[in-house]
Amino acid sequence: MQLNPGIRVELQRTPDDANQRHQLYVQWLNARVGNPSILQLDVVWTPEFAAAGWVLPLDPYHPARSEFFPATIIANTWAGKLYALPWFADVGLLYRRTDLVPNEPKTLEEMVSQAQAAMARRGGPRYGIVSQGARYEGLITGFVEYLGAFGGRIIDDKGEVVVNRPEAVRALEFMRDELYRTHVAPLDVLTWHEEEARFAFQNGNAVFMRNWPYPVAAMSDTSQSKVAGKFTVSPMPASATAPNGHSTAALGGAQLAINAYTDQPAAAYKLIAYLTAPEQMLERAQVVSQYPTRPALYSDPRMRGTIGIPLENARRAIESATPRPVTPIYTELSEILQIELHRALVRQVEPQEALNSAAARINALIERTGMRKLMSGGAQESAP
Amino acid sequence: MKKISRLGHEARLGWTLVAPALSVIALIAIFPLGWTFWESLHLHELRMPWLGKPFIGLANYIEIAKDPRFWAALGHTAFFTVVSISLELVIGLYLALVMNRVFRGRGFVRAAVLVPWAIPTVVAALLWRFIFESQGGIANALLVRAGILKEPMVWFIEASTAWVPVILSDVWKTTPFVALLLLAGLQNIDLSLYEAAAVDGANAWWQLRHITLPLLKPAILVTLIFRTLDGFRVFDLIYVLTGGGPGTSTEPVALYTFNALLQNLRFGYGSALSVVIFAITFGLAMFYVRGLGVKLGGEE
Repeated sequence: MQLNPGIRVELQRTPDDANQRHQLYVQWLNARVGNPSILQLDVVWTPEFAAAGWVLPLDPYHPARSEFFPATIIANTWAGKLYALPWFADVGLLYRRTDLVPNEPKTLEEMVSQAQAAMARRGGPRYGIVSQGARYEGLITGFVEYLGAFGGRIIDDKGEVVVNRPEAVRALEFMRDELYRTHVAPLDVLTWHEEEARFAFQNGNAVFMRNWPYPVAAMSDTSQSKVAGKFTVSPMPASATAPNGHSTAALGGAQLAINAYTDQPAAAYKLIAYLTAPEQMLERAQVVSQYPTRPALYSDPRMRGTIGIPLENARRAIESATPRPVTPIYTELSEILQIELHRALVRQVEPQEALNSAAARINALIERTGMRKLMSGGAQESAP
Repeated sequence: MKKISRLGHEARLGWTLVAPALSVIALIAIFPLGWTFWESLHLHELRMPWLGKPFIGLANYIEIAKDPRFWAALGHTAFFTVVSISLELVIGLYLALVMNRVFRGRGFVRAAVLVPWAIPTVVAALLWRFIFESQGGIANALLVRAGILKEPMVWFIEASTAWVPVILSDVWKTTPFVALLLLAGLQNIDLSLYEAAAVDGANAWWQLRHITLPLLKPAILVTLIFRTLDGFRVFDLIYVLTGGGPGTSTEPVALYTFNALLQNLRFGYGSALSVVIFAITFGLAMFYVRGLGVKLGGEE
């Protein structure tokens, strides 16, 4: 490192698959392995690792929290302390075919009617809205966006499970209606992940798509994409019928944290500070199109043309980003929700029943893991 | 007295000679099993070190008994095992009878039949998922063209239809194995029995029921043991094909255990689940050996 000549950095490869990487980390940390001294964490892992004592709080090094998007800081805060810095952001985006729907939908309801109108046109696409509906983490990220659009939450600031409240039920009903009532979403999405949705949209078969930023590059390439130059992105809109609803994007991305068992915490922090500095983020955007986590960079002229979509839209999307529940038991909580949401969307049960069952099981999980105490303490201090 | 002491000496020698083999078995079979059982008596969540690792007796087993997802998974496993093995036995027997005939190219046919069995399960499962997955997939195209379906359907979003590719792929993949085991049994049957029966005027159906099936019983039971135990541990096929979905409608116990143990890293609870699966498969094996009199050794 040119700025810190005393520090030598070694890279260590880890599996690309998030689950496998997580498993590997947990094995290392249970064995108190100090290498690597910096861990790249998925956004939903930070509280788990923090509560387990596997990563160190960064507060002693006085990181400049206010320079990052607030949601990325909230996601990395547990029990009032910051445990990781956001390296790059991933965010749920609404892709739209500009040749079919010139105007950005202001509401979810408008999005559905625009999709219907475009589908009904002669030679219009087969599908209105494609997304990730298989029973996996992707389903939760989509649900979080509809949930926010209707003003609902999974767990509120007091640590209460509120996922079976009326707003949440209406959000899930809306998702189900897209499949069976307004017919804008094909039933196929119930088995789809990111790539299947991308194929459909890229081949010109869909009006809208919910996805992460990664497909922009491939879809802008005329040699493989039928929609190059004919699409744009915007944040997911809010529902017109929900007074507390707001445009919401799920937040993803990579965080950097210090391994609690390292013997070089100070040097590790220096490297994290370096990697999350504006210059490095700019370079990541230019080279691999990863979204900076610093809002200031979105008005930097050097950012122009780096991420393939209007910078303003990307910034708006990240500003509307909401972390998934910030809790150490997120993975199991998510598994419960995945199952219950999927059961409602394939019409095995009614949305209200599915969410009641999810709430009951999440509450049981909170009891079983002794989370009630930890969570009320943590949520009070980390609430926005 | 002398005789007894000599016997004792021989017994001791015997034990000494088998000691290496026994210690290997203890090391690779009994020790891990004992460890898993010990683990299952603890609350041990790798993700939640703040809970410690307290001894909780049978609490994990009580949680299993109260867990509707476990009972549902057990039901799915039993359903899968019974349906797929029944189909495999019937089709496998038919294939074995055909292959037992003397005809030209018999060697080639026997080798060709084995091809599905030789394909790794995960690859086979991916293949079947590809066939059934999309509305424009091969399965839908064929069924619509044949007039069986009015329009393409999404197989994996309803429990009843999600089982179709699962069972079909298992039958496709494992029937050759069943056929081969049964063929080995068929070749042990003395042909003169059929000749004698034919002389007495027995038709083919009578011969099948009164000669082939009774004499094939040992081979059928051995096949049943293998296949039941395999069926009960089914994992990779369903993991790839449906992931246990829709919801958890096709989730077998092995997948549920995998989830608890390796996804959620609940070592205590997951170990308890493993012990339960072990107990069930062990019980099934005992039932076959003792109850139905399957002979696994060479003794008659």
